[in-house]
Amino acid sequence: MSAVRDVHTLIVGASLSAAAAAKRTVDAGLETVILERKELPRHKICSGILSPRGYRFLLENFGPLPREALHEPTSCRGVTFHFPCLIPLTMDFFGGTTPHLHRKYSDYWAIKRSGAEVHDRTSFVGLEDKGDHVMVRARSQGEELTYRARQVIGADGPSSLVTRVVYPDYPKQIPWFFVGQKFHDIVDCPLDQDYFHFWFHPELGHYTWSHARDGRQIVGVGFKRGDNFDARHKKVKRYLEDKHGVRLAGHEDEEGCAENFGPSLIDRYVFGKGNVLITGQATGFLNMIGEGMSCSLHSGAIAGEAVVEARLHGKPVQEMYRRMIASEVRRTTDQWNPLKIAFGRPHEADFPAALLALSWRERRLVVRDIWRFLLLYKEFNWGRQIGALALQRLVGNGYPMQRWL
Amino acid sequence: MRIPDIEPGVIPPDPVASDALIGIPRQQTNPARWQGAGWPAFAAQLTAEGIEVIDASHLRGTFSTDAGGTAYGMPHGVVIARSSLQVSTILKAAQAHRVPVTVRGGGLTTEGESVAFGGLLLDMTGMSRVIAIDTAKLQVRAQAGIFWASLAESLRRLGLDYLSAPLNLTSSVGGTLGVGGIDVNSPRLGCSADQAIALQVVTPTGEITECSDSENAELFQRVILGYGQFGVITEATLSIRPYTPLKMRYYYYSSLRTAIEDLQRLERGDASDYSGILTMMDKAITLLVAFDSDQREAEFDARWHAGLRGSGEAGFALRMAAHYALRPWNLKEALFLLRRKRQLFPEFRRPEHMRDGKMHDRTVVFSRAVWKFWGGRQMVIPDLATSADKFVEAVERGNAVCKRYFPYYTLYCVGIRLREDHRPHYELSCIPPDAQGWAYGCEFEPLLGDDIWSRDTLQSFKNAIYDIGLDLGGSYYRFGGMMKGYIRRAFGDALVERHLALKRKADPAMILNRDVIF
Repeated sequence: MSAVRDVHTLIVGASLSAAAAAKRTVDAGLETVILERKELPRHKICSGILSPRGYRFLLENFGPLPREALHEPTSCRGVTFHFPCLIPLTMDFFGGTTPHLHRKYSDYWAIKRSGAEVHDRTSFVGLEDKGDHVMVRARSQGEELTYRARQVIGADGPSSLVTRVVYPDYPKQIPWFFVGQKFHDIVDCPLDQDYFHFWFHPELGHYTWSHARDGRQIVGVGFKRGDNFDARHKKVKRYLEDKHGVRLAGHEDEEGCAENFGPSLIDRYVFGKGNVLITGQATGFLNMIGEGMSCSLHSGAIAGEAVVEARLHGKPVQEMYRRMIASEVRRTTDQWNPLKIAFGRPHEADFPAALLALSWRERRLVVRDIWRFLLLYKEFNWGRQIGALALQRLVGNGYPMQRWL
Repeated sequence: MRIPDIEPGVIPPDPVASDALIGIPRQQTNPARWQGAGWPAFAAQLTAEGIEVIDASHLRGTFSTDAGGTAYGMPHGVVIARSSLQVSTILKAAQAHRVPVTVRGGGLTTEGESVAFGGLLLDMTGMSRVIAIDTAKLQVRAQAGIFWASLAESLRRLGLDYLSAPLNLTSSVGGTLGVGGIDVNSPRLGCSADQAIALQVVTPTGEITECSDSENAELFQRVILGYGQFGVITEATLSIRPYTPLKMRYYYYSSLRTAIEDLQRLERGDASDYSGILTMMDKAITLLVAFDSDQREAEFDARWHAGLRGSGEAGFALRMAAHYALRPWNLKEALFLLRRKRQLFPEFRRPEHMRDGKMHDRTVVFSRAVWKFWGGRQMVIPDLATSADKFVEAVERGNAVCKRYFPYYTLYCVGIRLREDHRPHYELSCIPPDAQGWAYGCEFEPLLGDDIWSRDTLQSFKNAIYDIGLDLGGSYYRFGGMMKGYIRRAFGDALVERHLALKRKADPAMILNRDVIF
């Protein structure tokens, strides 16, 4: 076994949230190492449609995006919601179009711009929090490595190994979904390429989307884990052809991953324990159209800030993190809060305005279809929790921290 | 993948789309850390020239942020400034080795302007002597790292006083001249930068130069309100005046609009020697006026007092009691106001600083109050600067933003008398281009206390305030650093590019305070 490497902050996963966290710790002069199990730049499954808020964060913290970090089309103008009643609801993002990130290169660019030291092809194996430091075990090309860090930040995605080490039972406590996308050559596609398309259709699945990428069309489906990806996908492809005239050739590539949809809806985030912070999508942060990158960037930055502030003020890092992350919890869970949706503007596109632009008859049909879609989630018993949280939000300035892990 | 390096000031085309993030420049405002190429040779050269470079990490760490606490950076080394010659040597070496130099006075910036994101941090507090006081001409010559509190102390021994200084007197003179400096006597005397008669400046290429409106005027115009872009101010000659105690007077309002209208009326009429507005949220608004002489106070009473729409303390207290009696659900807010009043008011009337109803030692009184009751662990004070006619709208809209973000906050409004002969100084600065006669500034300060907030929340709040400035065509007192994206948006590319060309000519390696404006 090699010698123990001492660092101040060790970040697991070379994601956007890791880059944001590293940016904060490196700026403050803290020695920061990022572990990544793959070789960089690495592939990442993602729609790549970043929200404008996320884009501004990238720009202000890492500088102008290089062209290589973008897919074609390079931008996305907004979102179109589709319903069984076939009334489309198109909404432009506030503030203009937003990037269609090529995650392989955008993540690599952000990681490099953060200034942190990167150990790629190095897998996280386990950790032990000793109170004043954390011992981390890793493996690189068969070699066992040991790190001694003041703090560890887990930024390793929805199926976070760091979370599993800190909370072994956590994966059993939440429902898991599978999201998969297949890439098709286009024969004919009337769907507007400038928009991300999402279907509120209970028969298609929990999360159904399509958009253009590099001359091909992505057809994506999300469903409760255990169902059949191919069957789900086939059904959606046929639906798009029947109802929208989308004619696609057979797919050549496909990819999929596990996804944790629930925590943002019901304020059941996981933020870590002791000197181990969990951040990014590993916490459960997800915006309403399933966009997790902007939450990842901001929560990652907050994790890095918590490390810096805890050091400066001699306070426990977990306490700092939880107090600071409350703003991101508020922003994200507001997007799922029915009262906020009805009377506020929690999203980065104006859903109420788009709905009000329809005739009364069309509005009724759209609302009916949304309600039928929501019933798909009935089995998870989230409805009452969302209602109770919405009422608590009315009287308080945020959501209860006691629900966080 | 090649990661492109982007030179300071360069705004590349956006590969995303021309209409992405409409209006926001493609600019990294939270700077990347300079990677240190050239540092070892640079540090070795300084050491060989007898300049001590502090490189111990625990010492460098004390400079890792500013009063704002939202930007962090770690310099590779720190030098305590000792002389103009030493500063000149440093800048010449920095040009040769292309090492960024960030200059810091009191470190009271709030947007990271005095934070070094790598490179050398030049701490000016080592140059803090008063060089000469000319009692006949009423001028003082001082080294630029001196704090206003120390300068005031030296002047006071001779019965003299500064003209206008920032409320926070642990600001350095040099730093203040570079950014403005606003006080309750600015409505009459202008900002602190307007009091500078002549400067000794070390240019970015290391020349030690004297400048004023009549000597090297172009350099003088760019260095005053120049945010450290065109030289390091090492010495300054300032106008001063005979010392006088103050007689303070307070009027209380429940409407921001009414209080501001009264403030502007008083200032147009030169009714008082000092004036400004301090608030507790938008509930208790205090218009303060003060006088240098009994004669000025008597003139005010005869001509202006009756026309003011504010109440006295007792009358206002009764109105507030009635207001909250009818709104018991706002009890928490009422208790906050009461508690703050009990803490704050005695501070302005401490017996050791009052004689015969007049405030002596205003320097101490203001500075103590600022540190004790404004700000907290970090100072978050976005602001808006506008012409007189846009000011009420700016304050009302900013006030609405404060309410949206924080339960408790305070506003500080003050006018700045503009000098027509100083128009060239004001270009690309906190002074709004459309202001005539007076510019007005309002600081919006949440009372954070020891609460912990994410930088994202604080930055979102600041952006919401700064966005109002764009809508209204105003400017900002906090000008640069992490809000520098707003400079291009407020002033347009043409003006910024012109100043950038001047900067590149004066500072070929773009080493001096390079992350602040461009």
